[in-house]
Amino acid sequence: MAMEMDFGAQSDTGCVRENNEDSFRLAPEMNLFALSDGMGGLASGEVASRLAVDTILAHCREAEAKPALPLSGGRVDGVSTESNRLASAVRLANEAVHRAAQQNGNEQRMGATVVAVRFVDERMSLAHVGDSRAYRLRGSDLEQLTRDHSFVAEAMRHGHMTEQEAGSSALQSVLIRALGIDPEVEVDVTEELVMDGDTVLLCTDGLTRELSDAQIAAVLGESDDAQEAAERLIDLAKQAGGGDNITAIVLRRAAKPVGAFARIGRLGKWIKNSV
Amino acid sequence: MPKLVLKFENAVLREVPVGAKEVSIGRSPDNGLVIDNPAISHYHARVFNEEGRLMLEDFGSLNGTFVNGQRVKMVTLKAGDSVAIGKHTIVVSDSRDLDGFASGNGGTRPAAPKINETVMLDTKERREFLQKVAAVGESSQVAPARLKVPTIVVRKGKTNQREYSLNDKLTVVGKSAMATVKLRGWFAPRVAVQINRRDDHSYYIGAADKVPTVNGVPIAHPTKLSSGDVIAVAGIELEFVYRD
Repeated sequence: MAMEMDFGAQSDTGCVRENNEDSFRLAPEMNLFALSDGMGGLASGEVASRLAVDTILAHCREAEAKPALPLSGGRVDGVSTESNRLASAVRLANEAVHRAAQQNGNEQRMGATVVAVRFVDERMSLAHVGDSRAYRLRGSDLEQLTRDHSFVAEAMRHGHMTEQEAGSSALQSVLIRALGIDPEVEVDVTEELVMDGDTVLLCTDGLTRELSDAQIAAVLGESDDAQEAAERLIDLAKQAGGGDNITAIVLRRAAKPVGAFARIGRLGKWIKNSV
Repeated sequence: MPKLVLKFENAVLREVPVGAKEVSIGRSPDNGLVIDNPAISHYHARVFNEEGRLMLEDFGSLNGTFVNGQRVKMVTLKAGDSVAIGKHTIVVSDSRDLDGFASGNGGTRPAAPKINETVMLDTKERREFLQKVAAVGESSQVAPARLKVPTIVVRKGKTNQREYSLNDKLTVVGKSAMATVKLRGWFAPRVAVQINRRDDHSYYIGAADKVPTVNGVPIAHPTKLSSGDVIAVAGIELEFVYRD
C-alpha cells in the first residue's frame, strides 16, 4: 500500500483501577486500528475488550484474502465497501462478546465499547459503539468525529443538559449502546477525509474524562512522533488523576513518508512496551 | 438549568434550555425557539437570565404574550409558569426532571451508578430512555428535510457535472480520485473541501486543502449548511439546496 501512516499507541491501568480492561490492536498492513474498553465483573471486562478487537481484525483479515466474504448485517448506503466491511466486523464483535457473556453465565453483565478506523488513501472508514472516541486534528482545529452512545450525550443533544451539567453528572458512565448486551447492535459507521498532516486520535473515556479538548489538541499539535504523542497523553491523564484505564492510538498521515526503518523501530518499541 | 417546553394543545413540540445565552422566540428561522405560525411575530419575545432570575420580555408583538393569563411586557418567570403566545403554550420547567429518571422510575434499573463504574442499558431500558429524552417533536423537526434531496448546484467554475445529489456520508470536492465534485484545471486542489452527512441528516462543510467561504464568510470550523447557502472555494461557486 502506497500510503504511509505514522502510528503510536499506549494503554495504562491508570492510578485507581487494579486491572486494565482496555485493549487495542494495530494492523498497519491493512491501515486498520481499533481499541475497546471492556466492562464486567472479575476478568470479564478484559475478555470482552480483547474479544472485540481480535474479532474485528480477524474479520477484516479474512476479507482481505476473500473479498466475497459475506457481510454481517445489512449493507449501509452512502459508504464504501471498506466501511461496510468495518461495520460488519463490529457487528461480529458484538456477537462474539454477547456469546461469551451468555457462556459466562455470570450475574455481572459483560460488555465493551469499540472504535475502529481503516484508511484507504484519503478516506477513513470509522465505526464505533459506546463512548470511546475518535478525534481529528487539522491545523489547530480538533474535531470529535464520534458521538458518544451515552446517557449524558443523548441528554445534551436534546437540550436537557448543558456541557457543564454533563461533565459533573453522576450518570456519565451510563451507556445506551455497547457490544455484548444484546444479540444485535446498531453500529455507527461513517467516513472522513484524512489529509497529509492530519492527526487522528482514538481513545477510551479514561483519557477524555481527564483532559480537555485544548490539552489534547496541544499534545497532538506539538509532537512530531505518534508514539510520543500517545505516551504524553497517557502521562497527562495520569497526572490529572487517572481515574480509569486509559488508552490512546495516535495516527498521522505523514506529510513526509515515514521510512521503513523508522516504522520497524517504532513497532519494536511498542512490542517492548506492551509485553 | 431551566428550559422552555413548547406545547401545542397537549403535545410537546420542542424543549429549549435557557443558559447564559438568551432564547429569542418568534416566526423567523433565526430565533432560538421558532414557532412557525401567522399569529406569532417574526421576533416576538425573548427569555433570558438576569442576576439569577429568568426574565421574559415581549418585543411589542402584535398579538401579545400572556403569562398565567395576564398580558405582559416584561416579567420574571418561575418554574411552572405557563406562557401563551398565539395558540401555543410555553411551560417553564426545571431540567433536573431528567435526573429523576435514573434514580426512580426505571424500575429495572440498578441503583444510581457509582462514578466511573460503567453501566450499560439493555434494549428495553434504552427504549424507555430514548422515548423519555426525545419526547415528541423530533420527527416534526427533521422530517421535512429528509423528504427532499440535498443537492449541490454548480454556479460558477469547471466541474464534471452541473449538479450533484449528495447521497454519501462523505462528499469531497477536488481533483482527487475520491472526489464526487470533480474539479478540472492544472491548479485545482486534490481535495478542496469536504461535506459530511451527520446522523441527523444535516450536512456540514469543512476545510481541506482550502478554506471555503459560506455566503462570503470564511469558515473557522465545520459549518452546517442550510438551503440556499453559497460555497465559494478554489475559483468555483456551489449552491447547497434541498430539491423536491
